[in-house]
Amino acid sequence: MNGPFLLTTIWIMPFAIALASLPVRHDNHRLIKMISLVGNLINFILIVVLTLQFIDVAGADPAATTSSSSLFHFAYKTSWFKIMNIEYNIGVDAISVLMMLLTSIVIFCGILASWNINKQVKEFFILLNVLVAGVYGVFVSLDLFTLFLFYEIAVLPMYLLIGLWGTGRKKYAAMKLTLMLVAGSAFILTGILALYFESGLSTFDLNLLSQVRFADSFQYWAFPIIFLGFGVLGAIFPFHTWSPDGHASAPTAVSMLHAGVLMKLGGYGCLRVGMYLLPEGAHMWMSFFLVLVTINVLYGAFAAIRQTDLKYITAYSSVSHCGLVLFGFTAMTFTGLKGGVLQMISHGLMTALFFCLIGMIYGRTHTRTVSEMGGLMKVMPFLSVAFVIAGFAGLGLPSLSGFVAEVNVFVGSFANPATINRVCTVLAILSIVVTAVYLLRTVNTVVNGPVSQKFAMLSDAATLEKIPVTILLFCLFGMGILPGWIINLVNNAVNPIFNNLMR
Amino acid sequence: MNILLLPDLLIILLAASILAIDLYRGKPQSTVSFHMSWIGLLVIFCLLIILPYDQEITYWGTYKVTGISLLFKQVFVLSSLCTVLLSAPYFKPGGNARGVLRYRSEFYFIILLCTFGMFAVVSATGLLTLFIGMELATIPLYILSGYQKEDSLSVEAATKYIIMGSLSTGLLVFGYSFLYGCAGSLSFKAISVFAMASPTDPLFRLGVLFVLAAIGFKLTIFPFHMWAPDVYDGAPTPVTAFISVSSKAVAIGFLLILVYGPLAPLHNYLQIILLILAGATMTVGNLGALKQKRLRRFMAYSSIAQAGYIIMAMAGTAAAAYSSIIYYLFVYAAANYAIFFIISIVGRNGEEEFKSLQGMGKQNPVLAAVLMLTLFSLGGIPPLAGFMGKFLLFAAAAERGFYSMVIFAALNSTISLYYYLLLVKEAYIIKPAIAPRVLVIDNIQRISLVLLTSAMVSLGLIPLFSSNIMAIVQ
Repeated sequence: MNGPFLLTTIWIMPFAIALASLPVRHDNHRLIKMISLVGNLINFILIVVLTLQFIDVAGADPAATTSSSSLFHFAYKTSWFKIMNIEYNIGVDAISVLMMLLTSIVIFCGILASWNINKQVKEFFILLNVLVAGVYGVFVSLDLFTLFLFYEIAVLPMYLLIGLWGTGRKKYAAMKLTLMLVAGSAFILTGILALYFESGLSTFDLNLLSQVRFADSFQYWAFPIIFLGFGVLGAIFPFHTWSPDGHASAPTAVSMLHAGVLMKLGGYGCLRVGMYLLPEGAHMWMSFFLVLVTINVLYGAFAAIRQTDLKYITAYSSVSHCGLVLFGFTAMTFTGLKGGVLQMISHGLMTALFFCLIGMIYGRTHTRTVSEMGGLMKVMPFLSVAFVIAGFAGLGLPSLSGFVAEVNVFVGSFANPATINRVCTVLAILSIVVTAVYLLRTVNTVVNGPVSQKFAMLSDAATLEKIPVTILLFCLFGMGILPGWIINLVNNAVNPIFNNLMR
Repeated sequence: MNILLLPDLLIILLAASILAIDLYRGKPQSTVSFHMSWIGLLVIFCLLIILPYDQEITYWGTYKVTGISLLFKQVFVLSSLCTVLLSAPYFKPGGNARGVLRYRSEFYFIILLCTFGMFAVVSATGLLTLFIGMELATIPLYILSGYQKEDSLSVEAATKYIIMGSLSTGLLVFGYSFLYGCAGSLSFKAISVFAMASPTDPLFRLGVLFVLAAIGFKLTIFPFHMWAPDVYDGAPTPVTAFISVSSKAVAIGFLLILVYGPLAPLHNYLQIILLILAGATMTVGNLGALKQKRLRRFMAYSSIAQAGYIIMAMAGTAAAAYSSIIYYLFVYAAANYAIFFIISIVGRNGEEEFKSLQGMGKQNPVLAAVLMLTLFSLGGIPPLAGFMGKFLLFAAAAERGFYSMVIFAALNSTISLYYYLLLVKEAYIIKPAIAPRVLVIDNIQRISLVLLTSAMVSLGLIPLFSSNIMAIVQ
């Protein structure tokens, strides 16, 4: 299948799934779930095909494309709205391909993990698929307008998904999350309009804009706007407060998808729009953002220590780990950028597994308070082992994906000789210790110890539940043991961005 | 006589014949006038679409038909058509909880007369036509807002409206006198010449400010917006809808014609004033809407905020402002009428309050989905038309480099999303305390809602329409 057509099919597919679920009767839950599952399975296969084709075209050999100026493959563009020269402009580089692969894995697992939902099933799966369509759309867009459009489509369904199917303070959390993210996109909107007019080209085309050398005075104010705008979704300090509440209140599949993939849209936007188009602005502001992000990494870890709710612990650890994505970017070195991208993938897999497991454990124990649990290893060995492994991945144990990413992030950051980078790197590395403290303590309390009487009769994971857990575990190990092909692909993609940064 | 004047003539003919047939037949409750109105308006709309848009003809030196004025006329006719369809149940017993409206033919006659006044405003070549058109478009609204005669709220609304409206007319005439004194003529050409020659003349600027204040009343610009919530709340729902769309659209047309016509040499001076007014208006509207519990009051504040966004675009170049604002008017009209149709469904047998929406998500999922899409369109969420509309408005301001204003407006739009989401929350998330009432939707409402919703979706995705507007404007 030809590339651009494949890309279009991939982002339309979830919309098609949503449309196909519309005429199904309300009480026919099984059919609705099957449509979603099969549709997303097909999409996963398409993305695997895309990845293989991409490796074919771009080559996994870093030397082959270092000099090549073309960043994107399978590019296609045609005019859409003439009124502002808006184009339907698609294409992918290795980052987008890998992120799409991650998305398809997480959504597939997410649908399996939400198989037990029985309240307004049709609406749930329609909204979930619309959200995923938005995510794919962001990754294939090379036009800033469509990128922004898909970004908003990905953000808005969260309101209802959390508000209707969530737990706890769901109305508050849903509203807070939506408003903070939309406020962030207010900055992005201004930023892309400014890029459009200041470039003098009257275009939203990312490729064309990347060749423009914007005036320094313009970059000085435009860069922080765009970086912060996308940074809100990447949970940058002090705009991270939506994340713990939002993730803790969301239903399992939504937490998985949001922490696993949606938060990465923030990092992706920072890199693709902020740093790629406004490199001089990035240089001017980097130490400022470096400090913010270091606070993220440390604060998230320390806050997680004090939490008693499993989901809050994971949510704060997300803040800390997502901070590492941006931490890698703010290093402004090749290895740092690469590490940031790897961390996006690694954290996506890890946090999806965490939320998936917590959802399953909560479904049995009906509590998420750590102190009330204990000895789950005896009653549900499969889930407990998976939980332990997820914990190890979180603290960056070698042979799991977290190690590959974090090593690159920290090495890349320390490679920048500026004093502030060195200091911040040392501080950020300390966060690993803190992470070890809360993760090991939590895992230990939940899994070991005597079995409480009320949990003694609980069952282990059913076959249907084992599938998503196994897939995610497999991916975590896969990336940890065989990271070579991913790193090569990321190398290719980061090269042009880094060249722009160093011009 | 050229074909370009045909819609204007037809609308007068339609108004007159509705009144005549009613007098002749003498049956106050007959539905003939209803059918005549909507069919007539539909015919006029079709005519407006097929007319040539690249011609410009001036009739008798005072009445000019251009492509842009035809676009505005499309908005007015569509809005009147929606009002006519919206009003259908209000004349039937049991159609609305507030009581039955009477004098059906007169109602449609007044609406059509108003529409003709609006036609005149956008066809003006001088201050006189502008004034007459504006009055013809406003005075009938005073009558309409008091149409629910037994309801004290409606009477109060009419009283407030007429007092504020008269004040604004007074200001307008006062401002005119300065402009006339400076330019020595009421024609745009003479004023334009004077503005070009001495753009800093203080008396001239004073006159312009008075005119701006006067139009501020009609357009609900801060600080002249205070009448809107009471009038919107008191007037019968179809009238509220008409005021919120048509009356606002005509005021915007009026302002556009002046700002980019005779007052164009003052644009550097005006754009700062307009931006400040826009910022204040959207903030006041958005903050005011936060605490509302009644749907029509809520819509009043929401439409105040929308006026703010629209004014903001007038800081841009003529082409950008015209194309973005006209596009936005269509989008805004579609969304507003969709909301008012839903209000009319809810109001058939209950209060028009937030609480009445509870349980809609479960009991009537399609209607709830339409409500959600409409609110998202008003809030500027893609891929709905409201997003594209707002994007173009913001772009018009950004083109001149007012980026801080764009950020301000976009953040304001986030506030507005909060209260639009409050309605979504009522409809979907909050569990109703009592069993929700059964909502009756008649065929007119169903068809209208389907058409309006598809317009909201397709305007945002299909580029044809906006490209056409751009081609006509340039």
